[in-house]
Amino acid sequence: MEAYLNKGIKDIIEEFPEVEDVLNDYDIGCGPCNVGICLLKDIVAIHRLPEDREQQLMARIAKAIRPDQDIKIPKIEKKAAAQPREFKYSPPMKKLVDEHVLIKRWIALIPEVIKNLDVESEKGRQLILDGIDMIRSYADKFHHAKEEDILFKYFDENSDILKVMHEDHTHARSLVKEMLDALEKRDPKTIAENLMAYRELLTEHIRKEDEILYPWMDNQLSTHQVGELFSKFDEADQQISVSTDKYENFIDRLEKKFEN
Amino acid sequence: MEKFEGCPGSRMMNFKSSNENNSEPMVGKIKSQLTQWPIQMHLINPTAPYYQGADVLLTADCVAYALGDFHREYLTDKSIAIACPKLDQGQDIYLEKIKSWIDEAKINTLTVLIMQVPCCGGLLNLAQQAAEGATRKVPIKYVVVGVQGEILQEEWAAA
Repeated sequence: MEAYLNKGIKDIIEEFPEVEDVLNDYDIGCGPCNVGICLLKDIVAIHRLPEDREQQLMARIAKAIRPDQDIKIPKIEKKAAAQPREFKYSPPMKKLVDEHVLIKRWIALIPEVIKNLDVESEKGRQLILDGIDMIRSYADKFHHAKEEDILFKYFDENSDILKVMHEDHTHARSLVKEMLDALEKRDPKTIAENLMAYRELLTEHIRKEDEILYPWMDNQLSTHQVGELFSKFDEADQQISVSTDKYENFIDRLEKKFEN
Repeated sequence: MEKFEGCPGSRMMNFKSSNENNSEPMVGKIKSQLTQWPIQMHLINPTAPYYQGADVLLTADCVAYALGDFHREYLTDKSIAIACPKLDQGQDIYLEKIKSWIDEAKINTLTVLIMQVPCCGGLLNLAQQAAEGATRKVPIKYVVVGVQGEILQEEWAAA
């Protein structure tokens, strides 16, 4: 078992697919992760489950790996004290979580956008372009840039979890590029596929950040660093100068359009 | 410890016996982490050099007596001012001084340390009121200390 604690989760799930279901039962959604290089021991530690649940989880993973053996479960060193799953963010983290709200409203609309995809009319193409602009300007330039250029610099950027976050951002950018190419070719099928892939990617990415990454980061940051981040985020917002009203209006309009 | 009755802020309590059972040894001399003078809220100048861009503690008077490890855990690398929200007069001056910390001294963070007694909440309210009236925004953290020195709550308030 010790050896598996130091193994990447994707490799473990590939070898023992049942482990993905076990993790899901504990709201640990590693299955859809594109990278999966986080070590099992880090995943267990970072989720800060109550001790009895952690023991239960480890026992079930051990059973999935070696069904015929009684395996001794090594104790995982917690990275922070166990806490209930109610998140109290520091002000800079709260800002990022609040920005997720508009992105989540957009990704909730994607199935309706796909149902009504129209690449032939000017109006239909403009709607797709507006959606892509929302992803590029608000989700990426305004939001992800603050993470990549500021927040992640406070941590080890070679850590597995930050590599996964960078990888998600890069993947999202490549999906947007595919959407634009497909729009040029007036290919609704590829646009729809990439929009759905974006929806799935960002749903999981935001969940990881809101529930795991940001609370973990908050535990690591000193009071001084929280103040610094808060100022740097404000400066970045002023420099990037993206009109959040524009994107809120876009989402409001779409929600009204698809409300029935 | 006696039963908690009447105004919790001034109710007499004796927890000597529970402290006598405390087996934790007090080892070594703790060096003061105070790096400025004055510290009383009426006496401080909010734009003094040691407040510029600083992480500031606004501490209720009683906190440093209740919290055994105050210097090491909270005062290190911070600037400070102390006040009593129950007994101090002229708290409108405090309000202006806190605003001045935020807008003129451009402090980095404000941490408000209060006791668990209800009247102490007034100090946090004062800080939040000043922050609302300030032009800049800063993260405000609050720490609630129990009368026997335990940390009951430590959280960031909405900026």
